[in-house]
Amino acid sequence: MKEFKFLIAIWKTNLQSAMEYRGAFLTQTIGMMVNNFIYFAIWIIFFDRFKDVRGWGINDMYVTFGILASSFGLVSLLFGNAFMLSDIIAKGRLDYYLSLPRPVLLHTVASRTIASGMGDFTYGLISYVASGYFTWDGLARYILAMLLAATVFVSFLIFTQSLAFWLGMMSNFSNLVLNAMLTFGIYPITLFDGYAKLILFTIIPAALMGAIPAEFIRAFTWETLAQLLLGAIGFLALAIITFNIGLRRYESGSAIQTEV
Amino acid sequence: MNPIEVNNLHKIFQTKRKAAGLAGSMRSLIKPEYSSTEAVRDLSFQMEAGELLGFIGPNGAGKSTTIKMLTGILHPSSGDAKVLGFTPWKERQKLAYQIGTVFGQRPQLWYHLPAMDTFILFGKIYELDDRETKKRIDYLTEAFEIKDLLDVPVRKLSLGQRMRCEVAASFLHRPKLLLLDEPSIGLDVVAKQNIRDAIKRMNQEEGVGVLLTSHDAGDLEALCKRVIIVNHGQIVYEDKVSNLKRKFLTNKMVEVRYAQEVAKDFSIAGVEILKVGHYGVKLKFDTAKTQVDSVISHLSSAGDIVDITISDPPLEEVIARIYQEANK
Repeated sequence: MKEFKFLIAIWKTNLQSAMEYRGAFLTQTIGMMVNNFIYFAIWIIFFDRFKDVRGWGINDMYVTFGILASSFGLVSLLFGNAFMLSDIIAKGRLDYYLSLPRPVLLHTVASRTIASGMGDFTYGLISYVASGYFTWDGLARYILAMLLAATVFVSFLIFTQSLAFWLGMMSNFSNLVLNAMLTFGIYPITLFDGYAKLILFTIIPAALMGAIPAEFIRAFTWETLAQLLLGAIGFLALAIITFNIGLRRYESGSAIQTEV
Repeated sequence: MNPIEVNNLHKIFQTKRKAAGLAGSMRSLIKPEYSSTEAVRDLSFQMEAGELLGFIGPNGAGKSTTIKMLTGILHPSSGDAKVLGFTPWKERQKLAYQIGTVFGQRPQLWYHLPAMDTFILFGKIYELDDRETKKRIDYLTEAFEIKDLLDVPVRKLSLGQRMRCEVAASFLHRPKLLLLDEPSIGLDVVAKQNIRDAIKRMNQEEGVGVLLTSHDAGDLEALCKRVIIVNHGQIVYEDKVSNLKRKFLTNKMVEVRYAQEVAKDFSIAGVEILKVGHYGVKLKFDTAKTQVDSVISHLSSAGDIVDITISDPPLEEVIARIYQEANK
């Protein structure tokens, strides 16, 4: 409860900071929605031609893209520094968070809002509503699935970026992994089997951000819920443990910093 | 119990070495080479409750590394330290509720927001209730004279104004101890004085102990009762500031600029002429041997003075003298 109150205060301050530049906030939000639409248009054209890929149709794509965009947007809005964690570590900018009496990891990742996340978040919801699968209990499952997918996503980001404690600047590698997550996250899961499927649940857990949450939204099953819960808990534990072990190796730095 | 007890603190950094150029980069990629740098070497000292302790030394002396270990930001390679009874790197969160920190080169105020928003956020971070936060902000606003600054986005404040807000923010949660790392870096004379006055007031009114790192001898003279001088990670001098001044800060430098060309002989017994030009002169003298009054009146008799600066010798010079004394 104590940490939740703290998070609310941080998010409020983030929002205030983002709203200082209203024009930029609005253009980033709208720009990202247009960007998502252009990206998704290729799938509309594809499914217009082929209708079905191993039982996966355009409506499934709407839900999958929706949950992927919403959970990506949620992480951008609430934990924006997760995308920049390796940079923060390598440049010695954890000092600020370490000098305040709050959990370092939580404080660090929650201390930035990426305004374009609002565009992703909103577009994701619209995509779900437009999918033809919309029901009110489906919406409740959408919210739960979004939270769990966002947990997997932010945890995976933290894990890869925390490798900076050992390997130095990891932003390029992290971007590579991020792009792989987003690319494979939107692919119909029916395309993959065997080892490929295993990779999408573990090394690049894209299935836990796209296909599995989408299945759970379309129809409740204990199996998909268990997969999502296990994935979220497992990756969150991996992220926290990796970051905390790495923190002992933190070397700070003397770079002059001009803003928070 | 002393608020700070440091025993044989040691910090070694592993630094990657690379020869210049592309070939060096390629070699480093295949076979990276590392060397060890001892930033802090067997440092031991204590600080008493409510004390104003200066921790000074040139760049790379290990001041910031020591402060970072005392706040729990860095883990030491060996040795032990207790700050307010806590081992900083093991009990960082508990300690952070009791201490305030200011890093001159690392702002803590949110850059795009007015300082007031950071003050309110800090109230939440330190778990103060809203009424208490407001009362405290009112008090600090008056103590630091920042009433007109709190509603202006931090990015629009001057460095001096921002630093006053930074230091005020670090007092929000009534810390028992304040650790300041180069709080006056880059500030002009007036801004430095404002910050020094406010810190002194907080020390007197609330009994806050202050450990201050700086490479500005002025900070030391204005604020501290005792001083520790470090170089290459080791203590080279530890004494009361009054003793240090008596022993080492006896020299003053005077630089004068005249309204018209002067052709006076500036030679005075016991005064060293550092630089002389058609419109000005720069002198150095020992205040224990030569009176300031006599030097100034000699200089003013030469012509109409348009500008005069009296300064201390650079700290590096003082440290060099301390080394000389140690070697004798």
